[in-house]
Parts: sequence; structure tokens; C-alpha cells
Amino acid sequence: MAKKKISKCLLAAMAAALSVIGLSGCGQERADGRTEVELVSYKPEAVAAFEQIAERFNETHDDIHLTVNSPNEAMTILKTRFVREDYPDIVGIGGDNNYSNFLDAELFMDISDFQGISEVKPAYMDMLKELEYIPMEGTYALPYMANAAGILYNRDLFAEHGWSVPQTWEEFLALCEEIQGNGVQPLYLGYKDTWTCLAPWNALAVGLADSDTCNQVNRGETTFEAAYRETAEKVRALLPYAESNPYAYSYNDACTAFARGEAAMYPIGSYAIPQIKSVNPDMNIGSFVFPANSDEADNLLNSGIDLQFCVMKESKNKEAVYEVLSFLYEDDTINLYLSDQGGVACKEGEFDLAVELEDMAPYIQSGRMADYQDHHYPSEMSVDAMIQTFLLDQSDNAVDTFLQRFDADWKRYNRDLIRKVQQYQQEMGGAR
Amino acid sequence: MNRLKKMSNRDKTYWAIIIPVLILFFTFNTLPMLKGFVYSFTNYRGYGSYEYVGLRNYIDLFSDARVGKSYLFTFKYALAGTVLVNVLSLIMALGLNSRIRFKSALRGIYFIPNVLGGLVIGYIFSFIFTYIIPAVGTALNIGWLQNSILASEKNAWIGVLIVGVWQAVAMNTIIYISGLQTVPEDVYEACMLDGANKWTEFFKVTLPLVVPFVTINLVLSTKNLLMVFDQIMSLTKGGPAQSTESISYLIYRNGMDGGQFGFQSANAVIFFLVIVAISIFQMTVLGKKEEQL
Amino acid sequence: MKKDTRINWVLTVLLIIGTITVFFPLYMAFIIAFKQPSEMTNDVAGALAFPAKWSLGNFAQAMEVTDFWHSLGNSLLITLGTIGLAILIHSVAGYAIGRNMAKKKSFRIIYLYIVSGMFVPFSILMMPLVKQTAQMGLGNRLGVILLYLVFYMPMNILLYTGYLKNIPVVLEEASGIDGANTWKTYWRIIFPMMSPMHATVAVLTALGTWNDVMTPLVIMAGTGENTLPLAQLNFQTQFGTNYNLAFASYILSLIPILIFYIVCQKQILSGVANGAVKG
Repeated sequence: MAKKKISKCLLAAMAAALSVIGLSGCGQERADGRTEVELVSYKPEAVAAFEQIAERFNETHDDIHLTVNSPNEAMTILKTRFVREDYPDIVGIGGDNNYSNFLDAELFMDISDFQGISEVKPAYMDMLKELEYIPMEGTYALPYMANAAGILYNRDLFAEHGWSVPQTWEEFLALCEEIQGNGVQPLYLGYKDTWTCLAPWNALAVGLADSDTCNQVNRGETTFEAAYRETAEKVRALLPYAESNPYAYSYNDACTAFARGEAAMYPIGSYAIPQIKSVNPDMNIGSFVFPANSDEADNLLNSGIDLQFCVMKESKNKEAVYEVLSFLYEDDTINLYLSDQGGVACKEGEFDLAVELEDMAPYIQSGRMADYQDHHYPSEMSVDAMIQTFLLDQSDNAVDTFLQRFDADWKRYNRDLIRKVQQYQQEMGGAR
Repeated sequence: MNRLKKMSNRDKTYWAIIIPVLILFFTFNTLPMLKGFVYSFTNYRGYGSYEYVGLRNYIDLFSDARVGKSYLFTFKYALAGTVLVNVLSLIMALGLNSRIRFKSALRGIYFIPNVLGGLVIGYIFSFIFTYIIPAVGTALNIGWLQNSILASEKNAWIGVLIVGVWQAVAMNTIIYISGLQTVPEDVYEACMLDGANKWTEFFKVTLPLVVPFVTINLVLSTKNLLMVFDQIMSLTKGGPAQSTESISYLIYRNGMDGGQFGFQSANAVIFFLVIVAISIFQMTVLGKKEEQL
Repeated sequence: MKKDTRINWVLTVLLIIGTITVFFPLYMAFIIAFKQPSEMTNDVAGALAFPAKWSLGNFAQAMEVTDFWHSLGNSLLITLGTIGLAILIHSVAGYAIGRNMAKKKSFRIIYLYIVSGMFVPFSILMMPLVKQTAQMGLGNRLGVILLYLVFYMPMNILLYTGYLKNIPVVLEEASGIDGANTWKTYWRIIFPMMSPMHATVAVLTALGTWNDVMTPLVIMAGTGENTLPLAQLNFQTQFGTNYNLAFASYILSLIPILIFYIVCQKQILSGVANGAVKG
């Protein structure tokens, strides 16, 4: 009796499963004759902003329909969609190594004839150019939003003790000493999630190394051992001012600790502000450019393209896509996005800047910015983990070991790329 | 033709069952694996164009210190884990299968670790290792407890192991329980009449009868532990100082997230051959034991 | 049959004490699910303290964010569909292999072939499978079920053939004389006798599928359908995680599978009772 029941249940469950699945395979033809444009954004946290933008767009356009998808694990989803050749029209991705790779795989369309390109701040167009492994004709992305990284600080603690924002490396070290002298922990690092090791690294490296260091190395013009020595030494110099054993604490621990006032400063990007504020909504956060040099004039703000739009080569509705892009690039739309997500607009002009980023405004306005160095690192090389390894290495020649490994690993992980670059150089040299 | 005719009805049924199953298995397991095997000779990134690079990936594999390190970590982890998981889950199964109160509830509770998602495991155990245990260590003045085990290059693998075993015991206990169910009640009664004590009962009666399940559990737990991935993702992300990068973690992270699909496919092929070899070894050795008993 | 019904209290107490290893982490997860993000702290006492207010708000919000009932439906559909098919197909395949393995080399090879499939890392299969399922029109829930059916086939066949070793062949031979064919014999006699193993297979398969993120993520991408673990990714973004909502959601998704497990446990017990009566 019982057995029959079980098998009946099983059969019923399967029948139900199959019938539901059978119904789900409907097509996506638009009945109203509007051209469908699909945008896939890699920022699920901005889903609300994009929903609003799409709604506005669809209200004002009766020939085009914009659909924005902001899937979780968007990069995995995008890659799998590329594998099955199911391309959206526009992708909203970051200006990082993924972009370089997609570009190198010839997935994107040249959009240099899009009029909005001329309105992008030149600093961001330069960053875009540097993300090309091999210099390419044309423009393949429209920079939209940028973020900034340096050091976040607890404004209230600073005001209470009369500490001032440092301008140079020496001032920074002196400040750390002073803070420590006041019985407060100067820095919180949270190096357990390896990627967090890259935050101070990037912020220091923009001021200490050329922005195209990686390309220089690929061309055989320099080595990391030469270019990164100072960065490596300075990243290490932070350790005495942070919690002991920072490898035990995660990004989340660090955000919580900073929000709870356990440290005065936290070297991380503006992207961490929402997480910090979720723990302490009233916190008064400020941020300043990492003073990497002894001369303030040499410092650069670490700012990179957080969101840019690329048009897929396979897209068949170029006109409609351009219409969408110009709508996205209208000041109103940008302000709508900014009010929801914060950040720095890549478009020229006056846009609201989050209060937390006020101190960085002069750098942003004058374009004294450089991209995250790790946007050029292949993720499989795990530079973040290498930095963590380096910081844990107590031996005297740790810096040498690390930098030599950096050079050796770089050559191995970028072998095909370096070959391509040098081949290109030879061709160019031959043409000259 | 002749052989087909000779086949008995019974054999025909067996083949009629097994052939569709084989087709299904081939289509969704062997075929994609063969494709992966082909990619292992390329510099494919997972999308876009690629070139054949011959045996380069395989040659690199044997000269890559990071891959070598990941093999060492994985084997150390799996060896220690297999022993712990099997001893603990056999004990648990015996306990949960004996005459106890709240049997059903207890079984349910011990099953929970296996269904907790990676985010929960990651957060809770990181908190325990990072804050609670060091706090206990400080309170009791025990030096080696005062630092988070997950931050120690030498011992982080033990932290991962503790969580891995904690989760794996649930699954292997279930298999052992269902194995113990095949031991007829009267065998124990006969035993009791003989006046055998619990130890002799276990080694002379229970163990021989559940040997097939020991085989299954050993093979499954070894395989699961060798393929450790979730615990690494949620606890250490391969750190500190790359001391807990498992093979699966490398294959996934660098093959899918990174652009090393071709190279990691080669890694996966070698890894596959290694585990198959280990498992066949386990099955043959234990298979002989089964026959002896 | 005389049965010793004395309860082993020592063991019971020991096992109850042991549950601390489960309850302590679970307790932490539970209180976090009730707390507000602003109550999160790195302080041990604070982390173990009760939430300021016991409110089901997090659970309600988590259900809303994950579109709970719909996602739960998909998860149930996929898990139950996989289990149902696995019990039917894997058990009969395990039977065909298990009964012939000892005598016939071909079946021994088939056994090793299928079981070795267990060791293929999913990462290597993923990209080819994504393309293949898309081409076959299986980039949907049915595709996910089929893939699970194949992924768990090695383990389940290993389990069924192992269990079969303890079921004497005599039973089938007797019914063979009766004139029933193999197919009928299997469903009438062997299939019911394997019910403890069915329950085990059901639990283990459910364990694997219920929390799985990767397969549905890459196979169902773009269908707009979510399973619970997929919907739970909503709580994690690159630079921030809402642990409170996430934990509330995880606790909710723990309940169905826990119930399922307890039901299956009863099945294991009753299976033995049946066996004992017949034996």
C-alpha cells in the first residue's frame, strides 16, 4: 500500500514538473512593433536606478523598448551568454581586465561615431585607451560612472582630536603616529579577503608608478621590480598602524569595525561606503587621496571606470542603441543614477558629488586621476593573493622575492599577450 | 546477430535498460568532457577565438609551483578528512541507529550542517575562528588559541578541514545508517545470546556486514574532500598566502573567472585521472576485503 | 519476536550534548536573521546577544526580495523532479549493472565508466554544457533536471549496486520460475526492497541539488526563472552583503529540505520493518 503511494507521488511530481516546463518556452517577439534593445548591467546593486531609467525611456519613446537586466553573478552570466552566442545589445560593465579581454576577443562595436563620446572627461578616455592590449582604431566603450579610492576617514574622530588630512607621505606617517599616540588605532586593513589587499596597493601605485606600467612591461621597456618597488615598500609600511594580524579579518569585519569607530582610517574605495553605512547610518565619513609621495603635486587620485556601456558587435539595431545611449548620457539620467548610487560621473560638466568624496573634488575637476593598476592584471594571476603572501613574508628580502615573482609570473600568465604586443611593435617598427 | 539471438530474455531486458542510460550519460557527461579535453590543447579563454598550443598547457602544469602546491594541500586535506569523516560518521551512525530517545529529531539535527549555504558557513565560522576562539584563548590564557587559525599560513587548512568534516559527516552518516539497516535484527540477538560484548559485536558482526558501505563511503568522501571548493570559497578564498588553494578552487577561479580556461582544462584532465586512479585503487582493495569476509 | 526495548540513556545524553556543535552555529545564524544591519558588530558578546527586537520583518522582506513562493516552486520542481527520476532510472540501472557485474566483463566496464564520471570537475564541463544545452533547447528547468540526473548518476549507481549486494539473488530466481519476466520481477520485488536506499538516494540527491547555485545559474541564465539559491544571490553584491536578510532567507530555505529529510528517515525505518516482516 505504502509503496504504491510513493510511486504515485513520484509520478505526479514528475508529471507536474514536465507540464510546467512545457509551458515556459515562449518567444520574445514584441507585438507592438517597437525595436527591442536589451541592456545587461553587471551591477545588481543599481537595479532600482536602472529600472527607473528604463521606465522613463519607454515612456518617452514609442518606437524603441528598452529592457535592462541586472543579473546576479553578471560576469558569469555574460560569459555564458557569449558562449551560447546569445548577445544582448548593450552591456554595462566595468573598465577592467574583463573589458580588455572581451575587446581582444572582438566582441564590441566601434562607437566612435556616437556624439556622446566627445563629452567624456579626457582622463577617462585615456584610461579606456590604456585598457586596450594592442592600440586599436576607434572607441569601444562609453564611460559612464567612476569610483574613487584612497583613504576613508572618520570625520568625527578627526574633528574631535584636531587631526588634519595629510598631503604627503611623511605627513601621513606622522598622522598615523599621532593617532596612535592618542590611543586610537590609525588604520583598519581587513586582509582576509585577498582582494582587499589591492585597495591600498592601487591607491599607492597610481601616485608611484606610471599608469601604463603594465603596457610598458609588455613592450619590454621596464620591469615590475623597478616600477613597483616603492609601492611594495609603502604597502608594507602600513602594517604597524593597523590591527595586529590583519589576515584574520575580512572586508566585512573591516567595514563593521570602521563603522563602529574602531579605527580612524580605512584605505578602501568609495564603493565600501554603503556597506559601512548599513552598520552605522549616521556615520560622518570623509575621504582623501592616498598621499603616496613626498610632494603633494605628484599625488594622483585613484579613480577607475566603474560602469561603462559597450555595444555588442552582433547588435542589429545600431540606431536604436545609439538612441538609448544618448538618453543614458542626458544630464537628467546621470543625475538620477547618481542620486541612487553615488559615484563620479564620467561626463564633463557639473554633477553632484557625494559628500563623502568632497575632499577629492579638486582632483576630479582637474582630472588628476589614474586608473586602478589591477584593472590591467589578469585575474588568474591573483596579484591580490601575491600581495597577501608578500605581506605575510617576514624575511628581509621579502620585497625582492615578491617583485621578482611578480615579473616572472607576469611573463607566464601574459605569454600570449606579450607575444602579440611585441609582434605588433615589430610590424609598426617595420612600417616606420 | 548470432549472439543477439543467443541472448536470453533476461539479458535483453538488462541491455534495454542500460543503453538509454548510457546514451544520456554520454551526452551530458562524456561528450562535454571530451570537448573540455580538446580545449586543454588550446589557449581558449572560455569565449572568443583561440589557438591550438599543443602540449604547452600540460608542460606548464608540471612546472607550475602554484599547481604543485594546490595538489599538496588537496591531498593533505583529503587524507586527513577521509579518516576523520569515516570514523566520525560511523560512530554517529551507530549512535543514531541504536535504541535512543528522540531518534528522529536527533537525526534531523545532525543533518543540518550539510544543508547550510556557503554564505552562512563562511560568516559564522569566520566569526567563530576570528573572534570567539581567540576570545576564549585570551580568557583562558592559552597562547596558540589567541590568533585566528584561518590567518595562519601553517594551520589555516585545519580550520577549513574542521568545517569540511563538520559538513561531510552528515552525508556519510546517512549512508552508514542505511547500511546498518541491512543488518538483520536477529544477528544482534544471536550475538547477545552468545554473550559477546559490544566491541566484539561491532568488529565481528556489524563491520563485516557493512563493508560494502564502507567502500562507498570511502570512495565518496575521498572524492568529495579531494574536490573541496565551497569551504575554501567561503572561508579563506585560498589564503592566507595562497596556502589553501585547492585544485578545484584553482580550476574554477582561474578557468571560469580568469581567462585560463584552456590551461585549467588540462589541470582538470590530470586531476580527473588522479582521482579515478585513487578510487579504483580503493575499490579494488576493499573489494578484496569484501570477498574475504 | 522478543525485542529489547530498553532505551540507552547514556548514548541519548551524549548525542544531545553533541548537538551543541550544530546548535551553536545555528543559533548565531538565527539571531543574525532577526537583527538589523546596524546591530552587526565584531564584539563577541554583542554578536551572541539577542536582537534588540524580535521582529519577522527580515523574513518578510527576504521573502519579497527573493520572490519566495515562485523561487521555492522552481526549487521544489527541480529537486523533486530530479529525485523522482533518479529513483526510477538510477535504481533500475543500478540493478541491471549490479546483477551482471560479477559475471560479465561488459557490465563491469559500464559500471566503472559511469562511476568514474563522478570525478569530472564541473568546471571543465560547464562551458561545453552551456553551449550544448542551448543548442538542444534545454537552457531551462528541464535542462537542469537532466543535468542533475547525469551528475548524480555515478553516485547513485554506486549506492544502488552496493545495496544490491545485500539482497540475495534467490528471491528473483524464485520469481523467475514463476514465469514473471525480469522487468516485472524488478518492480514487484527488488524495487520495494531497496526502499531504505531510495530514501538515502533521495536525501543525498536533494542535498546536492537544493543548494546548488552554479548549474541553474549558467544553464537557466536569461530565462528569468530563479531557484532559491539563485534568488539569494540578491543579498550579495560585489562590495556589500546584507547578512541579516540573507540569513533570514537561508533559514527559510532550510525548512523544506529538513522536513523532507525527516520524512525520508521514516521511510528508511519502515523499509526495514517491511524487510524484517518478510524475512
